Amino acid sequence: MHEETVLWHLGNMTFHGKTLTMTWLVMAFILILCFLGVRHLTSGKPGKMQNILEWIIDFVRGLITDNMDYEKGRPLLAYLVTLIMFIFFSNVLGLIPNFTLNLFEHFGVEWAQLNKIFEGPSLMSPTADINTTIALALLSITLVLFLGIKHRGAKYFKHFIEPIPVFLPIHLIDLLAKPMTLAFRLFGNIFAGEVLIKVILMLPGIYVLPAIFPDTIWLGFSLFIGAIQSFVFTVLTTAYIGQAVSESH
Amino acid sequence: MNILHFDYTLPAQIISFLLLVWLLSKYAWKPLMNMMEQRRINIENTLTQAQEERQQAEQIKKEYQDEMRQARQEAQEVIAKATKVSEERTVEILALAREEAEKIKKSALVDIERERDRAVSEVKAQVADLSIAVAEKIIRQKLDMPNQEKLIEQFIQEVGEMPC
Repeated sequence: MHEETVLWHLGNMTFHGKTLTMTWLVMAFILILCFLGVRHLTSGKPGKMQNILEWIIDFVRGLITDNMDYEKGRPLLAYLVTLIMFIFFSNVLGLIPNFTLNLFEHFGVEWAQLNKIFEGPSLMSPTADINTTIALALLSITLVLFLGIKHRGAKYFKHFIEPIPVFLPIHLIDLLAKPMTLAFRLFGNIFAGEVLIKVILMLPGIYVLPAIFPDTIWLGFSLFIGAIQSFVFTVLTTAYIGQAVSESH
Repeated sequence: MNILHFDYTLPAQIISFLLLVWLLSKYAWKPLMNMMEQRRINIENTLTQAQEERQQAEQIKKEYQDEMRQARQEAQEVIAKATKVSEERTVEILALAREEAEKIKKSALVDIERERDRAVSEVKAQVADLSIAVAEKIIRQKLDMPNQEKLIEQFIQEVGEMPC
């Protein structure tokens, strides 16, 4: 890639400005969506938005009840619903055309390097940054450890030496591999998707009508991948937690 | 550019995501789930209520059926009783009528008897008159002067002989 990572500096800390901006865009979108959904809450006949949110909640509730006692999983519901929505909309954001039409670049807005953040043909998925996916995976594995200890106490650590103590390194690798695979699977899928979009847009004659089809097809496929990856991430998190909190496995 | 470049974006992302979780939990998921729970309870209540109402309806139906059966039985009893009473009345009325007829017949017989007696006595009187009239005619035919005188004579004599 020829473009430089946009870096924000705060003291001696650096941040990926583009990733953070896109994250906040996604957060704002989800918040608006949910507030619209809960604006006219009713226990009677729900409106369209409320219906969608209830469907998502029911879906995630189904994932939880598949993996553990619902009583243990109930506090997780809010976290997991937020997780699946955040990852899905993050994945999809990279497919959305750059609605600023490069105006920041045109007017030379240098503030917070907005001209560099909103450049190029499309926006960026926050999940196409390894920092985001590692952050989410770390949260997941923290939840696994925390809930494991909370529900099973010291007995949770016993499974590290099962069936015999020699297996300890393997279990430790397993514990390390879980967040790693979560993070890199998501990152790889979404990053590759974005790279491919850019590559397709470099095809000669792409702005002639028939040549647009590869882009269209890839966008549709990316949407599918985004949905699948958000589902996979949530399911695996749920499964890991289910393993950790269940008495036997 | 290094695509695996880690820096403070990672904690920033953790904080951002936790903030999103917190905001959504507080303002979206909690009220939404409460509402869903409320709806679940509503539906449960409605179902229980429906069950109760159905049971009630069943009971009421049973009661009505019992009542109807009883009413039918009563009606049958009433009809049977009425039939019996009417039969009794019929017999009674017939007996009365027969008695009355007997009485009427008797009085009629008495009347007839009386009438006959009267007729007989009338006939008798007429026969007497007729006999007298016939006797008069015969006497008028046979009583001529000599005989008259003889008769008068005899009469005077008889009168003379009578003790006065």
